[in-house]
Amino acid sequence: MDVLREFFQLASNQSNLLMEAFWQHVEMSVVSLLIAVFIAVPLGVFLAVRQKGAEPVIGSTAVLQTIPSLALLGFLIPFVGIGTLPAIIALSAYALMPILRNTYTGIKGVDRALVEAAEAMGMSRARTLWRIQVPLAMPTIMAGIRTAMVLIVGTATLAALVGAGGLGDLIMTGLNRSNNYYILLGAIPAALLALLIDGILRAAEKKTTGSSLKPMIFVITAALLIVTLPYGVQQAMPEEETEEIIIGGKLGAEPEIIISMYQHLIEDQTDIQVELEAQLGTTDIVFQALQNGDLDGYLEFTGTAITELLGEEPVSNDEDEAFEQAREGMLRTYDLVFLEAMDYQNTYALAVTEAFQEETGAETIGDLTAYEDDITAAFTFEFYDRNDGYPAIQETYNLAFDDVQTMDAGLRSGALVSEDVQVIDAYSTDSYMREYNLAVMEDTENVFPPFNGAPLFRADVLDDHPEIEDVLNQLGGRITEEDMIDMNYAVDVDDEAASDVAEEYLREAGLLTSSDE
Amino acid sequence: MIEFNDVTKTFSGAAAVDGISFQVHAGELFVLIGPSGCGKTTTMKMMNRLIEPDSGSILIDDKNIKELPLQQLRWNTGYVLQQIALFPHMTVEENIAVVPEMCGWSASAVSGRTDELLELIGLDPGTYRSRLPAELSGGQQQRIGVARALAADPDILLMDEPFSALDPISRSQLQDEMKELQRTIQKTIVFVTHDMDEALKLGDRIAVMKEGRLVQLDTPERVTAAPADDFVRSFIGERQSVWQRQAAVLPMEETTMNISGDTSGTAASAETSLEDVYSMLRSKQVQELPVHAGGKTYLVTDTMILDYVYDVQRGKEAGDGRSS
Ligand SMILES: Nc1ncnc2c1ncn2[C@@H]1O[C@H](COP(=O)(O)OP(=O)(O)OP(=O)(O)O)[C@@H](O)[C@H]1O
Ligand SMILES: [Mg+2]
Repeated sequence: MDVLREFFQLASNQSNLLMEAFWQHVEMSVVSLLIAVFIAVPLGVFLAVRQKGAEPVIGSTAVLQTIPSLALLGFLIPFVGIGTLPAIIALSAYALMPILRNTYTGIKGVDRALVEAAEAMGMSRARTLWRIQVPLAMPTIMAGIRTAMVLIVGTATLAALVGAGGLGDLIMTGLNRSNNYYILLGAIPAALLALLIDGILRAAEKKTTGSSLKPMIFVITAALLIVTLPYGVQQAMPEEETEEIIIGGKLGAEPEIIISMYQHLIEDQTDIQVELEAQLGTTDIVFQALQNGDLDGYLEFTGTAITELLGEEPVSNDEDEAFEQAREGMLRTYDLVFLEAMDYQNTYALAVTEAFQEETGAETIGDLTAYEDDITAAFTFEFYDRNDGYPAIQETYNLAFDDVQTMDAGLRSGALVSEDVQVIDAYSTDSYMREYNLAVMEDTENVFPPFNGAPLFRADVLDDHPEIEDVLNQLGGRITEEDMIDMNYAVDVDDEAASDVAEEYLREAGLLTSSDE
Repeated sequence: MIEFNDVTKTFSGAAAVDGISFQVHAGELFVLIGPSGCGKTTTMKMMNRLIEPDSGSILIDDKNIKELPLQQLRWNTGYVLQQIALFPHMTVEENIAVVPEMCGWSASAVSGRTDELLELIGLDPGTYRSRLPAELSGGQQQRIGVARALAADPDILLMDEPFSALDPISRSQLQDEMKELQRTIQKTIVFVTHDMDEALKLGDRIAVMKEGRLVQLDTPERVTAAPADDFVRSFIGERQSVWQRQAAVLPMEETTMNISGDTSGTAASAETSLEDVYSMLRSKQVQELPVHAGGKTYLVTDTMILDYVYDVQRGKEAGDGRSS
């Protein structure tokens, strides 16, 4: 019962967010489905009538469908950027195959004798198609459309990763925070939406008796109105002419908090308006969006820039040298500018419970060697395997735990709290550090590569708006690990808005000039 | 009315119709008969240009049909398919209305015509107008097929084995109605069949075909009295309808079921005709009927009979004897 109450509590607290996400989902799904229908149905009819060349065409739509959705979305970004457009293109592409295949087989499946009867009665080819073949193929075509629709509504949850919004936003938030209520808040409406559209399509199909396709046409027209109306309204509203930059952030509470700080600072101290594209998927997606101009800047970490974006080895484990390597490399290779880095590092750490720390007095990773035979460690497989993870620890600190278990990231902290294990790998600023009262063992030898966060902007953006640089550099050297953990906790666990948390920090740090608001 | 002049149609090297010439007179019921594959359907489909001849000419009312607008030709030529082929998604009324609508009739004219045709074929308009084909019996569907072909009042009616898939009762009833209908509507009808009984019963004139050629074209009396050759003679000799064959011809399976009690009057013998066995099944409203032969008991079902009859009529049965 508690579970239900908590779920509905969340639903009512986030009802605005939910409605917005739901509507985005509806729009995205319906637009994609319409596009797919308008391409695949005429194409399927054409192929069925022409008799030849159907297999290669249907085959190539089948190939489209085998591309993993995230890969297809990522592939589209260099061409069409982030947002709703790549999502709609990818979703339409997925929906082509079932509709095309069913249209083709549906039309082909109409009894030859009926087509001959129509011909003998003096019907033209077009009339035979419209009055006889298409209506008779309708159940098959509709089955294809309904399959496509379920596929679209389900896959559209991934569109959140390229900034298209929708119910996937809620699901991603839930996955990120290991919060099942958020996952359900996204997943249940998505399932209901699929059922609802399925119901409408079935009803329309049932009403489509005889040779009249009117109910079908009615549904399509209604769908067209639903999706175009908001655009019409948007067009009619005069858009205000202000200078605007767009700042993005990857998935998770932390990037959203930090870019919210960028927004507050810039809007507080300049005339520039800032739009945020938070919760974009992976590094890949955000980075491509920055390069092709969909984003003007985002929060990146030095370690990621060096290893993933530049493909280099870290020259040093000293954070200033690492920052210099990242800054210089990004400027040279991509013409991207790193502004000053913040204090905290979001890197690997070894964590123990505070109780364990009090009991043993261990402060550093080196201190753990004394207990290596008595304690059990739980690491993610990645940490256990990566050269700069556990193997590096073993070598540098001469530390070898007697018992090491690898387990899923979501399970580690629980195992620690239940005292099944005594030490885990962790991200140093994650909210569960505070949620479960964990302590980080100090990495005195700097084994873990430095991961300092800093604003990464395109050089031309800073040329156009040089004032941004000084504004954002105010964050340089600020925000400790402690601060970051607290803020992540406020968002992940207390469910506060990232923007409010960011503003509160800035206000307390005295970085906002405006007195109130 | 309809005139074929040395018409030939070849499919991948083999002549389906091989230089035939004949005339169909206005208002007559002209029967095309012959064994399977002799070119009957091909001949008929060339009349409404579903198939184009390779050579020769076809005239309707002295006009070459190639020069007629295609739609006009087809609207003036009602076509009843062997498969019936009613449009399953349309009601009886919509099926009948297809051609009149294309011809631009008003809605009230179409509706009036529908009632008139339903009356003509003996179906109550109130009951049947808005039924779907699936809600009709085979015989009723076939009648609607005829009504649909007649809808826009064409001068010519082409009927390709319209009754061959029906059971003997509906079949003979429809044949009677057909004769009656022709007296009332006075159309020129070309009628394809396999069944010499049917041909003799319905035809004003009968054209016997063999391997794409016309062997004899005459009145039923002349065809029976003076067969042109052995082929026609054997055809008439074999004319005893498949329905008159004995039950022993059926692929019956011996039953181990013990049919107890008095089965006299409810069972048939191996010598009972198929028609009688079928009537017994129908009138007793049972699925299976025991047939006694040589001290054993066999079970016969109605589908067993219909399948057999259908196969024979389609010429699938070996030793059918008609083509020899
Ligand atoms: N579209 C076609 N393509 C190739 N061959 C065909 C085609 N239509 C008919 N034929 C051939 O032409 C010959 C005559 O066929 P047709 O359908 O006219 O025979 P039929 O007398 O109507 O036979 P049935 O009594 O079995 O209906 C047959 O050998 C048939 O295989
Ligand atoms: Mg035929």
